[in-house]
Amino acid sequence: MVRFGIEFVPSEPYWKTTFYAIQAEKRGFDYLWITDHFNNRNVYVTLTAAALHTEKIKLGPGVTNPYLINPVVTAQAVASLNEIATGRVILGIGAGDKTTLKSTGLAMHNPLTAVKECVEIVRRMMIEKSVTFEGNVFKTSDAKFFFKPTTEIPIYVGAQGPKMLALAGRIGDGILINAGHPKDVDYAVNRVKNGIQQAGKRLTDVDIAAYTSFSVHKDMEKAAQAAVPVVAYVVAGSPDVVLQRHGVDEEKAEKISGALKAGKWGAAFGLVSSRMIEAFSVCGTPDMCIERIAELLKSGISQFVVGSPIGPNVRKAIDLISEEIIPHFEK
Amino acid sequence: MLRKAIDMDYRRIVEMVPTGKREKLSTKLMDLILKSKSADKMPSGLARVLLHQWQQGPLTNERGLTTLLEAAVILESEKTMNILEEKLQLPDIAEAIKAVE
Repeated sequence: MVRFGIEFVPSEPYWKTTFYAIQAEKRGFDYLWITDHFNNRNVYVTLTAAALHTEKIKLGPGVTNPYLINPVVTAQAVASLNEIATGRVILGIGAGDKTTLKSTGLAMHNPLTAVKECVEIVRRMMIEKSVTFEGNVFKTSDAKFFFKPTTEIPIYVGAQGPKMLALAGRIGDGILINAGHPKDVDYAVNRVKNGIQQAGKRLTDVDIAAYTSFSVHKDMEKAAQAAVPVVAYVVAGSPDVVLQRHGVDEEKAEKISGALKAGKWGAAFGLVSSRMIEAFSVCGTPDMCIERIAELLKSGISQFVVGSPIGPNVRKAIDLISEEIIPHFEK
Repeated sequence: MLRKAIDMDYRRIVEMVPTGKREKLSTKLMDLILKSKSADKMPSGLARVLLHQWQQGPLTNERGLTTLLEAAVILESEKTMNILEEKLQLPDIAEAIKAVE
């Protein structure tokens, strides 16, 4: 049975995100993912608040990156969080996004190696008394905690490109596939499966999640309207090969990117077409969303994550997902 | 002490809300504060109370409504009055809140 996750961007005061996190738990979601960008509220502060106000939902960063946060600090943060929400903590690690990293003066060097080494260091810090690690990107020398982590923490690897997807399959307890269209998810799952096989694991050992831009409302137009800003950013950040896969005009994508950089939101959002919304989000009425999720399940995903914007009214959208979408997949 | 006095005042006001309108009031106030652009005005103590009560159950009982009403007045005073007077036809409640303010 597919499990449902929900993603929040902590762009608003902590109490709003926590309010929605409590609601998501009450309404049957299994996973809570909080994005990690330094420009928003801190991911671990947000997760701590959510952990203190929930009891069942699994929760963690979705995703943090090894460049801004050193792996030993990530290990420390999730081990500490796990004392508040024992057995509920999960950790998503990805390469980060170039724009955010650039603004801090960091470059995304050797993303595959950085993610791989980060995962290894975090895992070892959870179980070993002292970690000495000689990697190509990271080095530790007798790194140790002055406390004992309570349990091991499942590590999910966020991935989009073919090499990162295969790596995620090899080393991850789970994979967060950043896509919501069957063409993209199918492509991604096949690469993940290769990685899983290479590592000699079983498919059922790994939780494969589609991490989607999602918008639901009983009125399709309203759902689509809410999805436009997020889709604009996705289009602007998508490589040409992905745009071509969906027949999206690359020139138009370039214009959207330029308008976003110039802060001309109206112009950028005005260029978002229905084809782009269809390609880069799961969006529409509950029945339309059910149809899309069912298609994605055929690819072999085991978790479906509803990500920003979730709906024009987040509170109502969570209720709608709980009442009309999740039950459909529990049958 | 002041917070306690305000709580008591809002509690008495909430007691005046007809039972049949409490759920609708709760929903409207939740949406009002969640969509508020003045979310930073929320006092941290009140936020903690709100989250605790939300975790315990729906915010349709008197305690939950008291907290929601207090938060809504702080964040969106005019819109709260509009909800009470126009949308829920509760002018007496609006008047009572003005007296507290």
